Amino acid sequence: MSLNLRHKQTECIARMLNLNQPINVTGTTNEEAYKILIYDKFCQNILSPLIHVKDLRKHGVTLYFLIDKDRKPVHDVPAVYFVQPNQSNVQRIIADASRSLYQTLHLNFSTSIPRPLLEDLATGTLTSDSIHRISKVHDQYLEFVTLEDNLFSLAQKSCFLQLNDPSAGDREIEDIVEKIVSGLFCVLATLGVVPVIRCPRGGPAEMVATALDQRIRDHLLSKNNLFTEGGNFVSSFQRPVLCIFDRNFELPVAIQHDFRYRPLVHDVLGLKLNRLSVQGEKGGMRSYELDSSDSFWLTNGALEFPEVAVEIETQLNKYKKDVDEVNKRTGGTHGAEFEGTDLIGNTKHLMNAVNSLPELTERKQVIDKHTNIATVLLGEIKERSLDSYAKKENDMMVRGGIERSELLSVLRGKGTKMDKLRFAIMYLISSETINPTEVEAVEAALRESEVDTAAFQYVKKIKSLNVSLASANSASRSNIVDWAEKLYGQSISAVTAGVKNLLSSDRQLALARTVEALIEGRPNPETDIYLAFDPRAPKSGSGASSSHLKGPFKEAIVFMIGGGNYVEYCSLQELAQNQQPAKHILYGTTELLTGGDFIEQLTLLGKKMGLGNASTPPQ
Amino acid sequence: MAKARDRTEDFKDAVRQSARSLGYDEAKLASILASFIIHKPPQRSPFSKAAFKTLESIGELELFLLRHRKDYTDLHRTTEKERDSIEHEVSAFIKTCQEQIDVLKNSINHEEESSKGWLGITTAKANADTIAHKHGVVLILSERLHSVTSQFDQLRAVRFQDAINRAIPRRKLNRVTKKDSTETSKSGDVELSEPDELRSEPLRVQQQLLDDETRALQVELSSLLDTVQETETKMVEMSALNHLMATHVLQQAQQIEHLYDQAVEATKNVELGNKELSQAIQRNSSSRTFLLLFLFVLTFSIIFLDWYS
Repeated sequence: MSLNLRHKQTECIARMLNLNQPINVTGTTNEEAYKILIYDKFCQNILSPLIHVKDLRKHGVTLYFLIDKDRKPVHDVPAVYFVQPNQSNVQRIIADASRSLYQTLHLNFSTSIPRPLLEDLATGTLTSDSIHRISKVHDQYLEFVTLEDNLFSLAQKSCFLQLNDPSAGDREIEDIVEKIVSGLFCVLATLGVVPVIRCPRGGPAEMVATALDQRIRDHLLSKNNLFTEGGNFVSSFQRPVLCIFDRNFELPVAIQHDFRYRPLVHDVLGLKLNRLSVQGEKGGMRSYELDSSDSFWLTNGALEFPEVAVEIETQLNKYKKDVDEVNKRTGGTHGAEFEGTDLIGNTKHLMNAVNSLPELTERKQVIDKHTNIATVLLGEIKERSLDSYAKKENDMMVRGGIERSELLSVLRGKGTKMDKLRFAIMYLISSETINPTEVEAVEAALRESEVDTAAFQYVKKIKSLNVSLASANSASRSNIVDWAEKLYGQSISAVTAGVKNLLSSDRQLALARTVEALIEGRPNPETDIYLAFDPRAPKSGSGASSSHLKGPFKEAIVFMIGGGNYVEYCSLQELAQNQQPAKHILYGTTELLTGGDFIEQLTLLGKKMGLGNASTPPQ
Repeated sequence: MAKARDRTEDFKDAVRQSARSLGYDEAKLASILASFIIHKPPQRSPFSKAAFKTLESIGELELFLLRHRKDYTDLHRTTEKERDSIEHEVSAFIKTCQEQIDVLKNSINHEEESSKGWLGITTAKANADTIAHKHGVVLILSERLHSVTSQFDQLRAVRFQDAINRAIPRRKLNRVTKKDSTETSKSGDVELSEPDELRSEPLRVQQQLLDDETRALQVELSSLLDTVQETETKMVEMSALNHLMATHVLQQAQQIEHLYDQAVEATKNVELGNKELSQAIQRNSSSRTFLLLFLFVLTFSIIFLDWYS
């Protein structure tokens, strides 16, 4: 059975909307069939890719509001609250209950509500004498956003920035790790599986893995745990593997320009929560939705852009042919000639035509939508010459360097400032040794184009640190200075390792290769040193039963801390398809970043380290 | 499937703790905790009572359809008359449900109007959210009814298809049997004519004439039968098509009505706008003349004062 995260999350939400009672299929009417849904901003983002407004009505929801909006009383109707457990939401709930806005309140929190907040809620409702309004309190464990069947995001902003911040204290790092762990726990609880956890040594990945392992262990020991499998030892064939990586493992992927359809739409046009707004052909913004119900998007998302244009053409021609056929059969074009014997066939054709009309209009709408998107994309690509950026970056990665003249010509040519900065950073990462004169020339060219070079300086510094820190190895883990050094050391060695991987001829991402090795379970020098955790196995017996931890797995959940994008998602899906037999890979990250967003985080990091020009105006 | 964690027990614990800390006595505590277990029957407004009743009736309709679906579609279980009666019942039921929904809709509109009549003072019963909620309820009910009716339409379409299919093979069967009958009659004629050659000639001629006539009548009658059956199938098809078109046309009619209402509103707005514009122009011109007059008078008064002093 393959893991379909979107399906499971939708099921959970449907159950929640049915007031957490199992949905009965028979036609008996529930006494509380009509309800009002109230959510906060974060939960709105969770709900919007999954349910449309008209589907809400099928579950009996008549109205839906944001919790912060001013709401009027609607008596004799139960209200379903779906909010995050924080202080302001709890206060708002107490206020609503005391004002008797609704008949009863069913509270659902997106993750486990901590004890102190629960006591606050109790005290508040007691003092306002509205305790009879609160009917039920549930923890839904749904604090993540599912965009596709196998793509999810925790929607936690600026994770990379906070984790790599040189001024971050121990406490803050622990807080972030805690948040990530709780998000991952929600994902695993919704899927209902206890995976085997693999992660590279050192860095945030290891911290998250240990904390998650501990949390699942504690939870399994408590009563009424959420994981439906029995407590016995289940063979590794049934359990998926959860691979946790840090962004520093493979930095170039987040920065480079890619030329496939999905990454392009995300990067250039800003796809958010499967929604996109572009300039329509007749002027005015049109808003489109791109999710799994759009068949064209599903099948052609991973193609390169020129092929996508060709696909649109073919679809359009096929549609025109179908429409012509329908017209011909029913005599819609020129005058109909009614022959007696043909009449029955004619009417049958007419009926078929009328029935197939809605399907044809829908196809036309999809084709129009993608034509519009492709046109806008084409305009952007021509203006910024993104195709040459993508090609040159690819060449750089494969060859390991670039002609100086070509580099400088690109930096002085077309493209936004962000594009040039990305190209310069890619050059920096791809070249094995840093040639100071070339770097000087590059910086001069960047300053000419008024680009804020803080991010560039940051990457340069990290790379130069590698030379001096290559020998330094972490001793103890408790000391914060050692930990910071270890973090840098790991990030640098990871960057160089990533570069070495990229220098090989085949252009597979290092992430894809590592995940392949982890899934197949063959001995591999890179992945053998990875740590492995099994929350189900007893703590002591780690050595004897470790074989099952590395065995081949059927399914994998890949999690990237610090930000991911559609390029990784597409390559992981390709990997899953190419396996024999086809395996199933879920991809998740703390947030989906475009190249521009990631560079901004690097810029802030550079500024915090005190690098970057003071003279150039901020971006 | 993953389960959600029910924290109501923890909540009750927290309530108990805070009640004790706030100094509530045991009786109050017991009553509060009892309210968790025993829910008071909720008081419902007449609107929601009516809405629930309508929902129940639509549910009953669905059950009825489910139960009789097999009877309706299977060719051998019921006669045509029974099927007609089922159809009649179902359409009557649908009509009553539709009427109930309309009653609910009208009650909302009445409330809206009556609340507006009180100089804009809205009572607690009729605020924007409640009205929106009631509209939502009505919308849900009508959508439910719509889905049940489309299910029923599908069943009817299947019935039509069966009728058509039954008509066509009958025609084919008849044509084949007709051919057989003509062949057998011809072969019969040949056989008959030979032994009768030695019998009386005029009798044979008369018989021949009679036979010809009968044959001609047969052919005519069978062709009539043919055309009648063709017409029957065409009628069945036409009714199916009509039905199909009718649903679409009804949809379009609703859309057109909506557009018409909007257009009427738009013309009203444009008229109001025109009035405002003309008023503004008037004021503009009148103010201009006034201003000129004022300046004129001022200049003359200044000249006069200058001449005077």
